[in-house]
Amino acid sequence: MGPLFPLGVIGDELNMLIGFLIGIGFGFLLEAAGFTNTRKLAGVFYGYDFVVLKVFFSAAITAAIGLYLMNHYGLIDIDATFYPKTFWIPTLIGGGIMAFGFITGGFCPVTSICAAVTGKIDAMIFVLGAIIGIFGYAFTYESMWEELRNSGAMGRVNIAEWMGISDGLFILILTVVAAIIFFAVSIIQKKVTANSDYQL
Amino acid sequence: MERSKTYMNSYLAGMLIGLFMIAAYYFSGEGLGASGALKSVVVATVDVVNHDYAKEASFFAARVQNEENSPAKSWLIFEVLGVIAGAIISAAFAGRLKMEIIKGPNITNKKRLIFALIGGLLFGVGSQLGRGCTSGMVMSGMGVLSLSGFIGLMAIFGGGYVLAYFFRKLWI
Amino acid sequence: MKKFDVLYVSILLVGAFWAFIVNSANDEPIDRVPPCDLLDIVSQTDKFITTDELARRLMSDDPTLVLVDLRSKTEYDKYSLSGAINIPLENILNDEFADVINQDIQTVVFYGNSSDLSAKAWMLTKRLGYSHSFILLGGLNRWVETILRPRPLKETASRAEFELHSFRKAASSFFGGGSSLGESTSIKRIAAPIKRKKKSAAGGGCD
Repeated sequence: MGPLFPLGVIGDELNMLIGFLIGIGFGFLLEAAGFTNTRKLAGVFYGYDFVVLKVFFSAAITAAIGLYLMNHYGLIDIDATFYPKTFWIPTLIGGGIMAFGFITGGFCPVTSICAAVTGKIDAMIFVLGAIIGIFGYAFTYESMWEELRNSGAMGRVNIAEWMGISDGLFILILTVVAAIIFFAVSIIQKKVTANSDYQL
Repeated sequence: MERSKTYMNSYLAGMLIGLFMIAAYYFSGEGLGASGALKSVVVATVDVVNHDYAKEASFFAARVQNEENSPAKSWLIFEVLGVIAGAIISAAFAGRLKMEIIKGPNITNKKRLIFALIGGLLFGVGSQLGRGCTSGMVMSGMGVLSLSGFIGLMAIFGGGYVLAYFFRKLWI
Repeated sequence: MKKFDVLYVSILLVGAFWAFIVNSANDEPIDRVPPCDLLDIVSQTDKFITTDELARRLMSDDPTLVLVDLRSKTEYDKYSLSGAINIPLENILNDEFADVINQDIQTVVFYGNSSDLSAKAWMLTKRLGYSHSFILLGGLNRWVETILRPRPLKETASRAEFELHSFRKAASSFFGGGSSLGESTSIKRIAAPIKRKKKSAAGGGCD
């Protein structure tokens, strides 16, 4: 019954190796999907390339379904895994700042790393900027950010529970909505790229 | 005309990433992230330069005082190393391994780099404040149905759509 | 390409339906016991532990015992069994004690002054599906009567009764019984241990 490492079934070294292997898979798939290309990434906001949306939602839904079923059939104990605590205020504000960063920089941390190592110069600059940003944040942490970062604490909140519905129902609704969105964006993408000659 | 034949089908890629996320949870109990690794770089650097400061300052203290390395943070480093390897492998296969700058047609290279820097700075701050980045907090959070993941999703995509118009010259 | 897209999205939809169906079919939350099952459980007669049995186990230093005193703090402070944890009945369902009472390995013995409080605690926790819990039959009152101050035997007592009585006398001195009950020096009081599940290993991708 998983998760294997937190429950002591596998040791440190094996865990790190698995992390490495999983990372390889993740990095490979991101690059293969085109996430090293900032124009593809930004496309979701302009309607000419929805790759971000498709990958994001498919990944999240696949994981949600898989983990839910595994938890149900006793293959994994979700409580022993990483479950982010909800701090709605800093997440909301931080998310806004990240949105700004995305629109200007065209990357997010993991995609910038993928792009940087495959030769994209702007990605390297982005990573540099991120590190500088974290330095700046770190040194002004106590004076500027600490209180904000700890505000809005809600603990571990399950969204389905928060909405008052069951997990399974939430997953179903999410998937159906996503499917509708997928259909809609394929039409939008066709329309938007019909006029311009967007060469991916 | 889309050259998308060289790219993997988005849905397939997404589903496979989802499977890897499940694997990460099943084996290690961790989500797939990256900003934590960048934070580790910063913390390690400061620690080496001035250990005493690092022990006291609240941003670093939790990481530094825990003398034995927390397995979660090490796992993340290994995962990111894997990401690097995986990206290189995929790019090599697809012939995308080269030094270049990809940008919109209406700006100069220099401008692109400047904005990349600004974007990085913003993301650095934002990911720390928001307690995660798109993959670690949002994608993994959504995978376990955590409210924080969905809030992050709304904030990032919502914010992006609002700002998109003002920065369109960068991309289209 | 469009065909493949439809295929993949369909797979996701199938998966989502599967999760939904599995969820609805399992709508009865695992942590509620329906009344008919509860009746069966309540009718079990092996939910009691006698004072003698408890004394025996305590004397042989049974490490699997977890003693829970359900009375108020004042009563607990005045007198309690050595090594017992105080969880007043109204707090029995608090999260902090869940790890202590919800046991697969150790044996939880509830007691109060009589069987009353412990029967309530036992019922409550049984509803949550906790196993391995017992009611001290007769509670502390019975404990005093049988162990601490065993009544003297009539001369016509049977051999079994005689043996039991000897046992009880031995237990009495072991537990500091006799005439002076107020000796709290030898009584161990422990706080409810907060067992943290090994959650600290999964720390998080980005924090």
